[in-house]
Amino acid sequence: MTVRTTALIAGVIGVLLLAAGLIADAQRPPTEVSAVAELTTAVVVYEPEMIAFAEDSTIGVEGKGDLVAVTARPADADAWLAEHEAIQVTGLPEWEVLATAPYGVDAATSASPSPSASPSAEASAASSDEPSASASPDASASPEPEVDLLADTSEDHWRDQWDGTDRLEITASDVAEGETLVVMSRDGSALASTDVGFEREVNDGWITPLIWWGAVLTVIGLIALILRFIDLRPAQAKYEEWTAKRQRTGDVDAELGTRRARRAAGEHLPEASLDEPDEPASAPTPDTGATPATGSTPATPSSPTEPGSATTPDPDTDTHEEGRS
Amino acid sequence: MNRLIAASGVAVASALVLTGCVAEVPAPVTSAPPMTESAALLEAQSTRIVDATMKELAAADENQDAGLLTDRVGGDAVTIRKAQYTKATGDETPVALPADQQAVYASAADTWPRTLATVSAQASEDETPVIYLWVQDSIDADYQMRGWAHMIPGATVPAMPGTTTGSEQLSLDDDSLDPTAHAVLGDYLSLLREGPGAELNDAFVEDSYRDQLFTARDTLTDAAEEQDGEYMDTVESRTDSTYVMGTADGGALVFAPIAITSSFTVEDATVSIPKADEPLLDGELDDKVTHHYLDMIVMSIPGPDSDAKPAVVAADHNLIKVSGE
Repeated sequence: MTVRTTALIAGVIGVLLLAAGLIADAQRPPTEVSAVAELTTAVVVYEPEMIAFAEDSTIGVEGKGDLVAVTARPADADAWLAEHEAIQVTGLPEWEVLATAPYGVDAATSASPSPSASPSAEASAASSDEPSASASPDASASPEPEVDLLADTSEDHWRDQWDGTDRLEITASDVAEGETLVVMSRDGSALASTDVGFEREVNDGWITPLIWWGAVLTVIGLIALILRFIDLRPAQAKYEEWTAKRQRTGDVDAELGTRRARRAAGEHLPEASLDEPDEPASAPTPDTGATPATGSTPATPSSPTEPGSATTPDPDTDTHEEGRS
Repeated sequence: MNRLIAASGVAVASALVLTGCVAEVPAPVTSAPPMTESAALLEAQSTRIVDATMKELAAADENQDAGLLTDRVGGDAVTIRKAQYTKATGDETPVALPADQQAVYASAADTWPRTLATVSAQASEDETPVIYLWVQDSIDADYQMRGWAHMIPGATVPAMPGTTTGSEQLSLDDDSLDPTAHAVLGDYLSLLREGPGAELNDAFVEDSYRDQLFTARDTLTDAAEEQDGEYMDTVESRTDSTYVMGTADGGALVFAPIAITSSFTVEDATVSIPKADEPLLDGELDDKVTHHYLDMIVMSIPGPDSDAKPAVVAADHNLIKVSGE
């Protein structure tokens, strides 16, 4: 396998890695996620366990008109909620979904906490969303009594209060520990939804390196592919010619007596000895085993200027000779 | 086609890998964290209640109209204040009730009725602080001020739990007190009926309230005898309106309204009453006149580890009606 083939294979792998990395980057799950539940009642409840679960998250509630959130001791909230239809948020089954249940129903005993509203609840919500259709044609009809869910009963037991219009946000950590959070629409109309923003851990640290590695390998493969279609032999010839010309120029100018001058004269220079120091005769002997057989330098005998080395027996010589013969 | 399949494979693989990159949904919090302040009312809540009460009371005082005492003042307090407005003529105003409070005692109760008590600041050197009592009958009802009593000179209110825990709401027959609040109150009423010579006189700390009652009884008895008449009074408790709050040492603070009637009868003569009491006269005066009082006493029952005696720490003697025959 040539270098070019290897580079082409690396390029194909790079393309795959790059594609996987880019797709993964595009599909990267967000760190901040909002879990949502639809609501069909005018009151939604976050009990102390759920408030503790939310920690520093932001709790949002959407509805029409004036919204108000209040906190109370669980016993007081329970007593107030006993006379009001409410939905409580019970948990987080999935990152994007809040589980809900009718308040007062033990979440553990319910079949499966689901964020979707029951059909009957949807029907009541739809009817409450259309007050104008029936009210506007008959202006002479007796006006419905104005409802204020908060003020219709005592407010003495509520501890903290937040107000908003159409959307209300409360940081869970602003609710005192152990207290129940009750959010309601003042006019008694059904709330639309509630959400809790969570920050989750996403192990996506591998995506960026994957993209970079894919890009590098793709570039390598691309270069190999381009070189496959370009004839470089003229350029190579030019280069070799230029190199040879440069070497000749250097040899002419070499100073007499120097290594360059001797090399230019065709003299073989002694090579450094790696043999034992007590065999001085073998020091200049070239290692016949390491000398390429096809090289221009004769393997044996050594140069006549070094007769000692020619007669020095080399224990490995026979083997090498046999190997070459 | 193959490219499409390959691209889809990469996309699906990336999505699967990314799905595994998201952390699991955190485990739910299964137990509610304890409340830092479990009293039924925190300082801000009790301040709102007291301020609303004093505002309503001030408006009624200004107009000398008990009809304005609707939301925050109720029960015996309205009856007493109405009588005071009736007695007040010209520039005379009923006894001022201090609006500033120096101590607030909230109940820890999860049930109803529950109470709130305060000790006012001292309005002047001539007046002792006033102990107020508020009652909330249900979750839907506002706290209402139901009674008050000026402190007995030299008396001290026992230490009460703060808002961290709140005061225990006890019943009259709660056996955590030995003897029960009902028994102690019954003994005190027996003492009031029997007079200073009763054996029970030593069972209670001396107080100016019963001293004045006994003194008035002796004076009126002597006056009636001089006219060949008769003086008789009755002392009845109103247990339905009596409330008991636990103190820090395991004792109790009992808020007890007491109905007292004193009848003065003369032979062959017509009784007369002080001019100040005439606005409260119902009927014609002849040989008998009956004064109706609605008193409020606040009694301290020491804890089980204390050697102290029960003591009346605050009491007011309120004339509400004079009836003739």
